[in-house]
Amino acid sequence: METKVNRSLAEINEKIRRGDAVVVTAEEMVDIVREKGEVKAAQEIDIVTTGTFGAMCSSGAWLNFGHSDPPIKMQRVWLNDVEAYTGVAAVDAYIGATQLSEKDGFEYGGGHVIEDLVNGKEIHVRATAYGTDCYPRKEIDINVTKHDINQAVLCNPRNAYQRYVAATNSRNDTIYTYMGILLPDYGNVTCSGSGSLSPLHNDPNYETIGIGTRIFLGGTQGYIFWEGTQHAPTKAMGNIMTIGNLKNMDTRYLRGATMQKYGTTLYLGLGIPIPILNERVAKTTGISDDDIKTNLTDYGIPRRDRPILKEVSYAELKYGKIDINGRDVPVSSLSSLKRARGVANELKRWIEEGKFFLSQNVQRLPTDQVFKPMKQLAAVPFARDVMTRNVITAGPDDSIVYAARLFADKGFDHLPIVDESSKLVGIVTSWDLAVAIGTGKEKLSDVQTKKVVTAREDEPVDAVARRLEKYKISGLPVVDSKGELKGILTSDDITRLLGKVRR
Amino acid sequence: MIKKILLKYRAQKAKEPIISSVIKESGLMLNILYAQFSLDGGEILISVDAPTPEVNKLIESFKRRGVEVTEITKAIQLHHEICFDCGACVSLCPTAALHVEHDKSIDLDEEKCIYCELCVPSCPVRALKLSKF
Repeated sequence: METKVNRSLAEINEKIRRGDAVVVTAEEMVDIVREKGEVKAAQEIDIVTTGTFGAMCSSGAWLNFGHSDPPIKMQRVWLNDVEAYTGVAAVDAYIGATQLSEKDGFEYGGGHVIEDLVNGKEIHVRATAYGTDCYPRKEIDINVTKHDINQAVLCNPRNAYQRYVAATNSRNDTIYTYMGILLPDYGNVTCSGSGSLSPLHNDPNYETIGIGTRIFLGGTQGYIFWEGTQHAPTKAMGNIMTIGNLKNMDTRYLRGATMQKYGTTLYLGLGIPIPILNERVAKTTGISDDDIKTNLTDYGIPRRDRPILKEVSYAELKYGKIDINGRDVPVSSLSSLKRARGVANELKRWIEEGKFFLSQNVQRLPTDQVFKPMKQLAAVPFARDVMTRNVITAGPDDSIVYAARLFADKGFDHLPIVDESSKLVGIVTSWDLAVAIGTGKEKLSDVQTKKVVTAREDEPVDAVARRLEKYKISGLPVVDSKGELKGILTSDDITRLLGKVRR
Repeated sequence: MIKKILLKYRAQKAKEPIISSVIKESGLMLNILYAQFSLDGGEILISVDAPTPEVNKLIESFKRRGVEVTEITKAIQLHHEICFDCGACVSLCPTAALHVEHDKSIDLDEEKCIYCELCVPSCPVRALKLSKF
């Protein structure tokens, strides 16, 4: 399509060289396009800088330690007790951000090792090997800094998602996820991404962004070298593979981090300069927080396709409150908007000072790729497939003696207590009965547990097993969406299921 | 003005209804934020919203009953040199003591903090620390 403004990358770079390129951040561009229109904006502005600063779990670094004497072909290697992958011969290793320390668990991981390297701290390197005729050495135990090793290259398979879902939790217990701590009963919402500053959302058609695009990465210059894994441009979930020299990075823009009871990650600052080649690009860089929508998703359901509650905009998320069922729910951003602005401003400064030039990409990112689910061979069993359906129940007014007789006759351990409409109101275990007899109680309502841990019929058994383990219980009632009792599922049922699978 | 006061008492004192009697005597509403007890004795954190002279009288009443009283000015600390202003803590804070400032930095309004500690583990870089009383 013909455009009124046509500007080449060479012209833009020439202006940078002369020191008169007009650079604005993507936040500033929103108002410029709104007030002047995209044509006028394209005439006036040469470059728009973007930025994001958030948890990018799919990150890591390639390190080369140099050869020891006698040489070793590392078979396994640990950096500050965090294992790195070394199945690429001799003395190369890849340290991934989410790998946990074997000593400190969630408190220290690959992301922290990468931060410590950037900070110039000493890293303890321990390696083992089986020994060969050419690589006879079997052990290494040394301390190194980034200055002692050859390459230290940040190399990330999946960064800078165009946008990300917002998370909340329908369950009645707190859950710990990669989207942070989610309180029970839709108690809070968490989100990620920088909205109008989002690098890929400012050029969603990849008119300028592609393989070979020079970017801001962790405080230094880096590159896009492929589309990211799980790139899903048709769902506005595009992302990129990035690479850059870790030795030149800056911990203002790169930090190891822990998501409570989930694991470690790497927070990374990333920015892409968008050359305003024409008014089409100017228009996409004018996108505002109101224009960028995402799905508020229920992380309480641990399935691949989590239920979507509704669509929300980044403007609402940044405002800090989201309406869920008529209630104002507070929002936590897991990304730092302040640092994202810092990235966009720093990149702007580099360009204005003639330190950063734009690169011509060698190939555009794919715009039609689909992210496929895993090919699984066995069907996942659900609670309804494993539970016992004919459950014996009692009412809250039934006597302890009656329940004791049931336990003795039928040989079970869990007695669900239901009201007249067969709605679950409590549970009594054989232990509760023992306590009831010891303390002289008479009615089941006196001893029943009222806050019952339950499962839903359509929940995968894996999720139910995790709940049994979490609450240290041996069985739980299965209910439908109205809270009506449908069955009971015990750890014995799950054990039997595993037996079947193995056979 | 809301003041927070930490009460410490020896184990033997646990038999006496100290809090009730102080409330009756002072006529002030006390909010118990946190309480724990061990063989070394008990620890109760209260907050009270009253003019300074009345709070001073309240402190005197506790002292008369053999309770050690410390006025708290800081407990949860936000270390700004560690914090990168994400906001993971903000939605967990029940009193909105942790909040987003106009420039999108995160700040802690210590007066509103009730030391529930929910925020402490939520911080990805452990910038929120509970300082010992």
